[in-house]
Amino acid sequence: MSSTPPPGHFQILYFALASSLTGKDAEPLPAPLPLSQLFSKLEELYPGIKSQVLESSLVTVNMEYVDVPSRGEEGEAVLQEGDEVAIIPPVSSG
Amino acid sequence: MADSQEQEQQWELSEEGCHVSLTHDNLNVNTIMDRVRSPSAGAIVLFAGTTRDNFAGKPVHSLTYTSYHPLALRTLLSIATSIKATHGLTGIAITHRLGPVPIGEESILIAVSSPHRQAAWRAGEQALEECKDRVEIWKREEFTGEEGVWRANRDGKMGVKVTE
Repeated sequence: MSSTPPPGHFQILYFALASSLTGKDAEPLPAPLPLSQLFSKLEELYPGIKSQVLESSLVTVNMEYVDVPSRGEEGEAVLQEGDEVAIIPPVSSG
Repeated sequence: MADSQEQEQQWELSEEGCHVSLTHDNLNVNTIMDRVRSPSAGAIVLFAGTTRDNFAGKPVHSLTYTSYHPLALRTLLSIATSIKATHGLTGIAITHRLGPVPIGEESILIAVSSPHRQAAWRAGEQALEECKDRVEIWKREEFTGEEGVWRANRDGKMGVKVTE
Protein backbone atom coordinates (compact mmCIF):
# COMPACT_ATOMS: atom_id res chain seq x y z
CA MET A 1 0.00 0.00 0.00
CA SER A 2 2.67 2.51 0.95
CA SER A 3 5.39 1.38 -1.42
CA THR A 4 8.11 3.84 -2.38
CA PRO A 5 7.28 5.78 -5.55
CA PRO A 6 9.73 5.87 -8.48
CA PRO A 7 12.18 8.82 -8.71
CA GLY A 8 10.49 12.12 -9.55
CA HIS A 9 7.15 11.03 -8.09
CA PHE A 10 5.08 11.19 -4.93
CA GLN A 11 2.80 8.36 -3.92
CA ILE A 12 -0.92 9.03 -3.53
CA LEU A 13 -3.14 6.66 -1.55
CA TYR A 14 -6.85 6.28 -2.20
CA PHE A 15 -9.29 4.97 0.41
CA ALA A 16 -12.97 4.02 0.42
CA LEU A 17 -14.88 5.89 -2.30
CA ALA A 18 -11.68 7.44 -3.64
CA SER A 19 -10.36 3.93 -4.21
CA SER A 20 -13.61 2.81 -5.86
CA LEU A 21 -13.66 5.79 -8.23
CA THR A 22 -10.01 5.51 -9.28
CA GLY A 23 -10.00 1.72 -9.31
CA LYS A 24 -6.71 1.88 -7.37
CA ASP A 25 -5.39 1.76 -3.82
CA ALA A 26 -2.38 3.90 -4.71
CA GLU A 27 -0.33 5.29 -7.60
CA PRO A 28 2.73 7.43 -8.23
CA LEU A 29 2.18 10.96 -9.62
CA PRO A 30 4.86 13.34 -10.93
CA ALA A 31 6.56 15.57 -8.33
CA PRO A 32 6.97 18.38 -7.53
CA LEU A 33 3.33 19.49 -7.61
CA PRO A 34 1.96 22.49 -5.70
CA LEU A 35 -0.60 21.22 -3.19
CA SER A 36 -3.01 23.84 -4.53
CA GLN A 37 -3.04 21.95 -7.85
CA LEU A 38 -3.61 18.47 -6.43
CA PHE A 39 -7.40 18.40 -6.80
CA SER A 40 -7.36 19.77 -10.35
CA LYS A 41 -4.69 17.22 -11.30
CA LEU A 42 -6.87 14.41 -9.92
CA GLU A 43 -9.98 15.83 -11.60
CA GLU A 44 -8.06 15.76 -14.89
CA LEU A 45 -7.21 12.08 -14.37
CA TYR A 46 -10.59 11.07 -12.93
CA PRO A 47 -13.33 13.39 -14.14
CA GLY A 48 -16.01 13.84 -11.47
CA ILE A 49 -13.79 12.81 -8.54
CA LYS A 50 -13.64 16.35 -7.19
CA SER A 51 -17.33 16.78 -6.49
CA GLN A 52 -17.92 13.13 -5.62
CA VAL A 53 -15.05 12.67 -3.16
CA LEU A 54 -12.35 15.31 -2.92
CA GLU A 55 -14.50 18.18 -1.73
CA SER A 56 -15.69 16.14 1.26
CA SER A 57 -12.27 14.59 2.00
CA LEU A 58 -9.27 15.55 4.07
CA VAL A 59 -5.71 15.26 2.81
CA THR A 60 -2.59 14.03 4.58
CA VAL A 61 1.02 14.44 3.54
CA ASN A 62 3.40 12.01 5.23
CA MET A 63 0.59 11.19 7.69
CA GLU A 64 0.00 14.80 8.75
CA TYR A 65 -3.25 16.56 7.89
CA VAL A 66 -2.78 19.58 5.64
CA ASP A 67 -4.99 22.40 4.44
CA VAL A 68 -5.49 22.26 0.71
CA PRO A 69 -5.58 25.84 -0.60
CA SER A 70 -8.95 26.49 -2.20
CA ARG A 71 -9.32 27.28 -5.85
CA GLY A 72 -7.58 30.44 -6.97
CA GLU A 73 -5.39 30.58 -3.86
CA GLU A 74 -1.73 29.99 -4.40
CA GLY A 75 -0.51 28.47 -1.16
CA GLU A 76 3.11 27.61 -0.61
CA ALA A 77 3.05 23.90 0.06
CA VAL A 78 4.54 21.72 -2.65
CA LEU A 79 4.30 17.94 -2.87
CA GLN A 80 7.82 16.60 -3.17
CA GLU A 81 9.39 13.49 -4.58
CA GLY A 82 8.94 10.58 -2.18
CA ASP A 83 6.04 12.15 -0.27
CA GLU A 84 3.14 9.93 0.77
CA VAL A 85 -0.11 11.76 0.13
CA ALA A 86 -3.52 10.33 1.07
CA ILE A 87 -7.10 11.22 0.29
CA ILE A 88 -9.12 10.68 3.49
CA PRO A 89 -12.88 10.49 2.82
CA PRO A 90 -15.26 10.78 5.81
CA VAL A 91 -14.43 7.90 8.13
CA SER A 92 -16.74 5.11 9.30
CA SER A 93 -15.12 2.93 11.95
CA GLY A 94 -16.99 1.24 14.77
CA MET B 1 -5.40 -4.39 -0.18
CA ALA B 2 -6.40 -7.38 1.91
CA ASP B 3 -4.14 -9.93 0.28
CA SER B 4 -3.61 -13.36 1.75
CA GLN B 5 -0.41 -12.36 3.54
CA GLU B 6 -2.21 -9.60 5.34
CA GLN B 7 -4.83 -11.98 6.70
CA GLU B 8 -2.37 -13.31 9.25
CA GLN B 9 -1.08 -9.91 10.29
CA GLN B 10 -1.82 -7.69 13.20
CA TRP B 11 -0.73 -4.09 13.58
CA GLU B 12 -0.27 -2.61 17.05
CA LEU B 13 1.13 0.26 19.08
CA SER B 14 1.59 0.51 22.83
CA GLU B 15 2.53 3.20 25.31
CA GLU B 16 2.22 3.28 29.12
CA GLY B 17 -1.08 1.62 29.81
CA CYS B 18 -2.43 2.25 26.31
CA HIS B 19 -2.65 -0.44 23.67
CA VAL B 20 -4.21 -0.16 20.21
CA SER B 21 -4.36 -2.67 17.38
CA LEU B 22 -5.84 -3.55 14.00
CA THR B 23 -6.36 -7.12 12.89
CA HIS B 24 -8.04 -9.29 10.28
CA ASP B 25 -8.72 -11.94 12.89
CA ASN B 26 -11.78 -12.44 15.09
CA LEU B 27 -11.71 -10.12 18.09
CA ASN B 28 -11.26 -11.70 21.50
CA VAL B 29 -12.95 -10.18 24.53
CA ASN B 30 -10.72 -11.92 27.06
CA THR B 31 -7.52 -10.83 25.36
CA ILE B 32 -8.46 -7.14 25.40
CA MET B 33 -9.69 -7.29 29.01
CA ASP B 34 -6.40 -8.84 30.05
CA ARG B 35 -4.60 -5.89 28.42
CA VAL B 36 -6.14 -3.49 30.94
CA ARG B 37 -6.53 -5.82 33.94
CA SER B 38 -4.73 -4.48 37.02
CA PRO B 39 -4.71 -4.98 40.79
CA SER B 40 -5.14 -1.23 41.23
CA ALA B 41 -8.31 -1.14 39.14
CA GLY B 42 -11.76 -1.59 40.63
CA ALA B 43 -13.58 -1.70 37.31
CA ILE B 44 -13.15 -2.73 33.71
CA VAL B 45 -15.69 -1.45 31.22
CA LEU B 46 -15.80 -3.28 27.91
CA PHE B 47 -17.58 -2.05 24.80
CA ALA B 48 -18.15 -4.40 21.87
CA GLY B 49 -19.47 -2.94 18.62
CA THR B 50 -21.09 -5.60 16.45
CA THR B 51 -22.06 -5.53 12.78
CA ARG B 52 -25.76 -4.95 12.16
CA ASP B 53 -27.81 -6.73 9.51
CA ASN B 54 -29.57 -3.60 8.26
CA PHE B 55 -29.09 0.08 7.56
CA ALA B 56 -32.28 2.04 8.29
CA GLY B 57 -34.24 -1.14 7.69
CA LYS B 58 -32.47 -2.13 4.47
CA PRO B 59 -30.94 -5.60 4.71
CA VAL B 60 -27.12 -5.60 4.72
CA HIS B 61 -25.65 -8.94 3.75
CA SER B 62 -21.98 -8.23 4.45
CA LEU B 63 -19.53 -5.57 5.65
CA THR B 64 -15.89 -4.89 4.93
CA TYR B 65 -13.54 -2.51 6.73
CA THR B 66 -10.43 -0.95 5.21
CA SER B 67 -7.92 1.35 6.84
CA TYR B 68 -4.89 3.57 6.41
CA HIS B 69 -3.09 1.29 8.86
CA PRO B 70 -0.17 3.41 10.13
CA LEU B 71 -2.23 6.59 10.45
CA ALA B 72 -5.22 4.78 11.99
CA LEU B 73 -2.93 3.28 14.63
CA ARG B 74 -1.40 6.67 15.36
CA THR B 75 -4.85 8.25 15.73
CA LEU B 76 -6.07 5.38 17.94
CA LEU B 77 -3.06 5.81 20.21
CA SER B 78 -3.57 9.55 20.44
CA ILE B 79 -7.23 9.00 21.44
CA ALA B 80 -6.20 6.36 23.99
CA THR B 81 -3.48 8.43 25.65
CA SER B 82 -5.65 11.54 25.86
CA ILE B 83 -8.63 9.66 27.32
CA LYS B 84 -6.43 7.82 29.79
CA ALA B 85 -5.09 11.15 31.05
CA THR B 86 -8.47 12.91 31.12
CA HIS B 87 -10.21 10.19 33.15
CA GLY B 88 -7.27 8.99 35.23
CA LEU B 89 -7.54 5.48 33.83
CA THR B 90 -5.37 2.55 34.82
CA GLY B 91 -5.40 1.20 31.29
CA ILE B 92 -7.11 1.48 27.94
CA ALA B 93 -7.08 -0.86 24.93
CA ILE B 94 -8.79 -0.44 21.58
CA THR B 95 -8.83 -2.96 18.75
CA HIS B 96 -10.61 -2.78 15.40
CA ARG B 97 -11.20 -5.60 12.96
CA LEU B 98 -10.48 -5.12 9.24
CA GLY B 99 -11.49 -6.98 6.10
CA PRO B 100 -14.80 -8.78 5.85
CA VAL B 101 -16.72 -9.03 9.14
CA PRO B 102 -19.73 -11.38 9.16
CA ILE B 103 -23.01 -9.91 10.45
CA GLY B 104 -23.36 -10.08 14.22
CA GLU B 105 -19.64 -10.29 14.98
CA GLU B 106 -17.50 -7.75 16.81
CA SER B 107 -15.88 -5.04 14.67
CA ILE B 108 -14.47 -2.96 17.54
CA LEU B 109 -13.59 -3.63 21.18
CA ILE B 110 -12.73 -0.97 23.73
CA ALA B 111 -11.65 -1.91 27.26
CA VAL B 112 -10.87 0.61 29.96
CA SER B 113 -9.89 0.05 33.56
CA SER B 114 -9.91 2.54 36.40
CA PRO B 115 -9.83 2.60 40.19
CA HIS B 116 -13.59 3.37 40.26
CA ARG B 117 -16.42 2.58 37.88
CA GLN B 118 -17.70 6.09 37.06
CA ALA B 119 -14.53 7.12 35.24
CA ALA B 120 -14.47 3.85 33.33
CA TRP B 121 -18.06 4.21 32.08
CA ARG B 122 -17.45 7.75 30.90
CA ALA B 123 -14.08 7.03 29.35
CA GLY B 124 -15.44 4.04 27.43
CA GLU B 125 -18.19 6.07 25.85
CA GLN B 126 -15.93 8.97 24.98
CA ALA B 127 -13.34 6.64 23.45
CA LEU B 128 -15.92 5.12 21.13
CA GLU B 129 -17.27 8.48 20.01
CA GLU B 130 -13.79 9.79 19.26
CA CYS B 131 -12.91 6.65 17.32
CA LYS B 132 -16.03 6.93 15.19
CA ASP B 133 -15.20 10.58 14.55
CA ARG B 134 -11.55 10.39 13.70
CA VAL B 135 -9.94 7.01 13.11
CA GLU B 136 -8.96 6.42 9.47
CA ILE B 137 -11.08 3.31 8.96
CA TRP B 138 -13.88 2.90 6.41
CA LYS B 139 -16.85 0.56 6.32
CA ARG B 140 -18.47 -0.67 3.15
CA GLU B 141 -21.92 -2.19 3.40
CA GLU B 142 -23.18 -4.58 0.72
CA PHE B 143 -26.93 -4.73 0.21
CA THR B 144 -28.87 -7.57 -1.32
CA GLY B 145 -29.62 -6.79 -4.97
CA GLU B 146 -28.08 -3.29 -4.84
CA GLU B 147 -24.79 -1.49 -5.12
CA GLY B 148 -22.53 -1.30 -2.08
CA VAL B 149 -22.17 1.86 -0.03
CA TRP B 150 -19.21 3.45 1.76
CA ARG B 151 -20.61 4.70 5.02
CA ALA B 152 -19.70 8.01 6.67
CA ASN B 153 -20.14 8.24 10.44
CA ARG B 154 -20.24 12.00 10.52
CA ASP B 155 -23.61 12.48 8.90
CA GLY B 156 -25.35 9.29 9.99
CA LYS B 157 -26.97 9.22 6.58
CA MET B 158 -26.71 6.81 3.74
CA GLY B 159 -23.26 7.13 2.19
CA VAL B 160 -22.43 7.48 -1.46
CA LYS B 161 -23.35 4.70 -3.84
CA VAL B 162 -20.50 2.86 -5.44
CA THR B 163 -20.58 1.82 -9.06
CA GLU B 164 -17.96 -0.73 -9.93
